[in-house]
Amino acid sequence: MAHQAHAYHMVDPSPWPLTGAIAALLMTSGLAIWFHFHSTVLMTLGLILLLLTMYQWWRDIIREGTFQGHHTPPVQKGLRYGMILFITSEVFFFLGFFWAFYHSSLAPTPELGGCWPPTGITPLDPFEVPLLNTAVLLASGVTVTWAHHSIMEGERKQAIQSLTLTILLGLYFTALQATEYYEAPFTIADGVYGSTFFVATGFHGLHVIIGSTFLAVCLLRQVQYHFTSEHHFGFEAAAWYWHFVDVVWLFLYVSIYWWGS
Amino acid sequence: MAAASSSSTSRRVKASSAAVVPGSAKMAAIGRLSQKLLKSAALTQTRQLSAAVAHSEQAAKTWKILSFVVALPGVAVCMLNMYLRTQQHSHEQPEFISYSHLRIRSKRFPWGDGSKTLFHNPHVNALPDGYEQHDH
Repeated sequence: MAHQAHAYHMVDPSPWPLTGAIAALLMTSGLAIWFHFHSTVLMTLGLILLLLTMYQWWRDIIREGTFQGHHTPPVQKGLRYGMILFITSEVFFFLGFFWAFYHSSLAPTPELGGCWPPTGITPLDPFEVPLLNTAVLLASGVTVTWAHHSIMEGERKQAIQSLTLTILLGLYFTALQATEYYEAPFTIADGVYGSTFFVATGFHGLHVIIGSTFLAVCLLRQVQYHFTSEHHFGFEAAAWYWHFVDVVWLFLYVSIYWWGS
Repeated sequence: MAAASSSSTSRRVKASSAAVVPGSAKMAAIGRLSQKLLKSAALTQTRQLSAAVAHSEQAAKTWKILSFVVALPGVAVCMLNMYLRTQQHSHEQPEFISYSHLRIRSKRFPWGDGSKTLFHNPHVNALPDGYEQHDH
């Protein structure tokens, strides 16, 4: 039987990049079809295909790494680079929305009343739910760090407790934001204030949901003994992503909620 | 390891002084702000620690203590603060003025009658012509 003379991972052929690309096509064209022709079939198909792709692709990665041992140190290094580059790209994504916010708010046009917040807008009190949300995310940053050290020290029960606590805090944040969205006296259709507010916080909320899901998958894996004290990159990637989500919130809070009120 | 435990002691001292600040919302806000700064300072230190391979075996315990003594009580304080502040609110509907730069409907939404936003709340969200009639 032939074996490789290097430490890298030559991945077996896989259909998931293709199904992922098809899903992206169906979702984007499906969105346009929904807006213009009021049919959600294409978009829903795309969404289902996306979920199937994500589940199977990541399941395969777990098989290759945890069960087949393909994630040698050089391979893991590459995965680290990959995650860092991805998070960097997300930073630039949010930078765009912050640019839009500051562009509109630093020089408010006469149509808005020449002031920020615009005339007729009652902004949310930054010292009510938004402050609680800040405390919740900061606390979850502490608990996820507790989880990391627990994993490194082989403390299985503590790792499960701290990871669960982190996820619960993430869910609490999402629930609080959802009620804020419902209770807000302004909507996304309220000029540039509404647009910048809901697009920036909305994408952030989506990232909280993604991050919570990532952490939940890590919890399931921790329970099933996937992680060792030396090798648990999936968890580290989830923790990095979670800290990134926390930092974006801090910028949102200071810029939009506090300065912007 | 000595450095880690002495800095964690200083963290605990700082945390308790922030918790002791009493009274009005402004003072509480300053206390919370210092707690926030404290937490982000702690986070930075953690990231720097994580870069090194060797870890103090006390680290998980330290972060567990931080979680239950600083982080979760901080959340509880903010929950209390939120509850007290929302009690002081009036529950009246905000006045409706038909500004042209608000309640924009250039294109109908692709759901319902196309007029209501996704998180529409009839009590506080007026439609372009005013609040809906069957209001509470």
